[in-house]
Amino acid sequence: MPTPKPTSLSIRSYQVGFGDSFLLTFHYPKVGGKLKDVHILVDCGSTGMPAAATHSLDDIAQQIATDCGGKLDAVIATHRHADHINGFATNAAGDNSGDTLAKLKPELVAQPWTEDPALAPDAIKPTKKVNALASFTRGLQAMHACAALAADEAVRLGSALPERTRKQLAFLGETNLANLSAVKNLMTMGKKNEYLSYGSKTGLTKLLPGVKIHVLGPPTPADYSEIEKQRSKDKDEFWHLLGATAQKPAKARAPFDKKFAAKTRPAHARWFAQRVTAAHIQQRLEIVRALDDALNNTSLILLFEVGGKKFLFPGDAQIENWNYALKDAPEAAANCKLLAATDFYKVGHHGSLNATPKTLWKLFAKKGAPTKKTTLTTVVSTMAGKHGSTAANTEVPRSTLVAELEKNSVFFTTQRIKKPPLFEKRDFPL
Amino acid sequence: MEDPFATASDAELLSDPRFHQQNVYAIVMRVLGRFEFALGRRVSWSFGGHQLKVAPHATADANAYYSKEDEGLFFGYFVDPATNGLVFSCLSHDVVAHETTHALVDGLRSRYTDPSSPDQAAFHEGISDVVALLSIFALREVMAGLLSDWKGTGKVSAKKLSPASLRQSALFALAEQMGSAMSQARGQALRNSVRIVQNPALISSAEYQEPHRRGELLVAAMLNALIEIWSERVTGLFLSAGELDLSRVVEEGQRAADILLTMSIRALDYCPPVHLGFGDYLSALVTADREIRPDDSTYHFRARLLASFAAYGIKPSSLGDTEEPGIWTAADGTFSHERSHFEPMQRDADEVFRFIWENRKALDLTEGVYTEVQSVRPCIRAGGDGFFLRETVVEYVQILRLMPPELADAGYTRPDAELLPDDREVFIHGGGTLIFDEWGQLKYHVHNRLNSYASQSARIAYLAESGYYLARRPKSEAVRVTRQGLFSQMHLNRGLNRSRKIADLWTGAKAPPDPVPAHVCGVHSFISTEEENDDANA
Repeated sequence: MPTPKPTSLSIRSYQVGFGDSFLLTFHYPKVGGKLKDVHILVDCGSTGMPAAATHSLDDIAQQIATDCGGKLDAVIATHRHADHINGFATNAAGDNSGDTLAKLKPELVAQPWTEDPALAPDAIKPTKKVNALASFTRGLQAMHACAALAADEAVRLGSALPERTRKQLAFLGETNLANLSAVKNLMTMGKKNEYLSYGSKTGLTKLLPGVKIHVLGPPTPADYSEIEKQRSKDKDEFWHLLGATAQKPAKARAPFDKKFAAKTRPAHARWFAQRVTAAHIQQRLEIVRALDDALNNTSLILLFEVGGKKFLFPGDAQIENWNYALKDAPEAAANCKLLAATDFYKVGHHGSLNATPKTLWKLFAKKGAPTKKTTLTTVVSTMAGKHGSTAANTEVPRSTLVAELEKNSVFFTTQRIKKPPLFEKRDFPL
Repeated sequence: MEDPFATASDAELLSDPRFHQQNVYAIVMRVLGRFEFALGRRVSWSFGGHQLKVAPHATADANAYYSKEDEGLFFGYFVDPATNGLVFSCLSHDVVAHETTHALVDGLRSRYTDPSSPDQAAFHEGISDVVALLSIFALREVMAGLLSDWKGTGKVSAKKLSPASLRQSALFALAEQMGSAMSQARGQALRNSVRIVQNPALISSAEYQEPHRRGELLVAAMLNALIEIWSERVTGLFLSAGELDLSRVVEEGQRAADILLTMSIRALDYCPPVHLGFGDYLSALVTADREIRPDDSTYHFRARLLASFAAYGIKPSSLGDTEEPGIWTAADGTFSHERSHFEPMQRDADEVFRFIWENRKALDLTEGVYTEVQSVRPCIRAGGDGFFLRETVVEYVQILRLMPPELADAGYTRPDAELLPDDREVFIHGGGTLIFDEWGQLKYHVHNRLNSYASQSARIAYLAESGYYLARRPKSEAVRVTRQGLFSQMHLNRGLNRSRKIADLWTGAKAPPDPVPAHVCGVHSFISTEEENDDANA
């Protein structure tokens, strides 16, 4: 019997404000008189709903449950940022969005290798390979501690900070907090879990007959050259160092006995003291920006190849993650060729300036007028006014990128979803 | 003066912030004093005021840095994950000496933080490590402790004094002494430099284009010359087979390190004011030293340094002569003193400008561009012969501002328009250092001129490829942007190994990616901020 092949693919983009949530439904032809649909959920999270919205992530989870007919075949959690996974968070009452999603009993939960619990600090087997990977995941934990400290400082220093700085610090801090219940839910909700890296084989293939799935990122330290390995080790160590301080903020805040504290700040020291505080906050911001980038770069990059069409879901991967597939991997040339034929692109990182590398955009061969039949589709899930600033040209979504997408692709943004249903559905015949 | 901490235990010292303050103050003043001794004059800071402010507990982070805008040094402290104890960077001699050197070098040559070349970007880090390492040699007990493995006998094993063992010694790897936590925070710069295998090809390898790594080559070249000299000097000090007198060994090391430290600081006066290359620094090292210490027959420092730099692929910028290879060529030409006066020429920038202007042809300057005398520094240096060397050191710069389409007509090569769009203004810096002797006659003119078309074009090409012009605003939108955080950013980036090509970001045709260069650092740390004030020349 020939392998069954899907005849069409529906992609639902949900209105989650600043976040990502997509449902991929592969429609297979009737087998024994029964239509078979395979539902795959890619991310579910939000760090802010549109001001006018009356719905919450719970409503989105309910909608997903309806749309998949009460059963998910697979869940893909691209990386652990809140705006991608906090929809999986559960609560004690068992009625949170994550509880709803868990009831959809996915066969498989796919995540990047960095989420593998076998790499957790308390579960390390002392083999050389595991150590290299574990060092990285310990680094991730340290990052969460730094993020928590930043979020805490944004509150603690409050009015002492310029408004824009405080907002940035709070936003980046909160996004990078560890989402414990969501992480745990992802670990347990599926029948099977898999942790993927560049070139991995995935169980999704079994769930999706006739679909070829390419895992194009993230690379693991094992993929790097010796120099890169050393550098990435240094980097991990650096995070451990920062994390250790962040985990003991009380100690760091009061390194000396109270008796040494000056009662008043002498007049001649005030100017400099103010500069010291400003410098400290600047540092903190740089650190959370760096850790935000680092987490984005743990994103799974998945390419679904089916019926001659290619659908690309890169999470929030930035150039450092992409570089391996595009440049450094032994198969780089083949990867570039594959990506050139992309028909659908989930725009990385909510349309920010740094997650659609121009190198990648240039590769896409099917760019063109939106009216042309062969032009690729691009979808961005985002909300303006949440992150970055127009004055600094860091606004998300970035206007220059959106202009390019509008001009040279069939472009859709979830910002256009203003009323129920809470999603936009696109069908692609295969 | 009474030492309030004379009887305090280590634990008491560590827990008393007043000791931290005293410690950091003492180290900063010692390095400052060392610079003033070598230069033969008071030094000034680049920010105008007379006092450098120091915050020993500025931030609960694994960082320490100099900030020109804040007129101070900032030292962080952090929790060591291995021991759970606090590590204070203000207690680390090498960290404090390193940051102080950044401030001092910035005061001497403020344009060395400008975007220019991999060498210039690497120099600040390299020279700061050199001074930090050499400063340790002045601490007798520390040296003796690090050298001797059987304390108290006053002897040291000959085996420990071969160049190979000295290279492995903790003496040249100070960050290790501070605990691995501190070395991590410093990005391991002080840890391995002298152990970099001598190989002239390294300097052009991809790894050593990165400023911090490249700076290590400078450290390796300087310190390995010292190791060779020291190792040779102690061969006559045997007490018995295989054993040497520790105090004499320490003395020899101190004497040699002291000379090298003085040389390395004096050399700064003989460096061009803009676009420093390692080769320029090497020529400056040997020239400045020859001027005041012509007899080098005891240590052969100059020959050793030339050989050691050559082993790392660094050649002097000047050929020199057969007797003193590598030294700058003496200023030749006839200079007119008709419209300038001897006395103010030793202190007055406007007077020297008059001299420069009158002699612009003889000095081969570019006419019709902004020209400024940045400093006039009279100095008196003590020589070994009982006499004083009297010199006046003058820096001048010339700045040419062109739009990219004008580059070719002016004689420069224009990089690809993708990397240098038509609307980004290009600043070309030239300039020279004039060394006048005690009679007001020009001895040396050390320069990187505007009309050195090939090397200026190479710099423009390097900056273009690094994404520098793409990150700048178009001329029509030019604004003044401060450079806050240059060094703090640099140290953070070193820890994080960050680098990103601006060309891959959606900066659009009209703007830089971010006013704070969060995404454009690592390799580009020196060139990521908008350094030029577009509303002024200087």
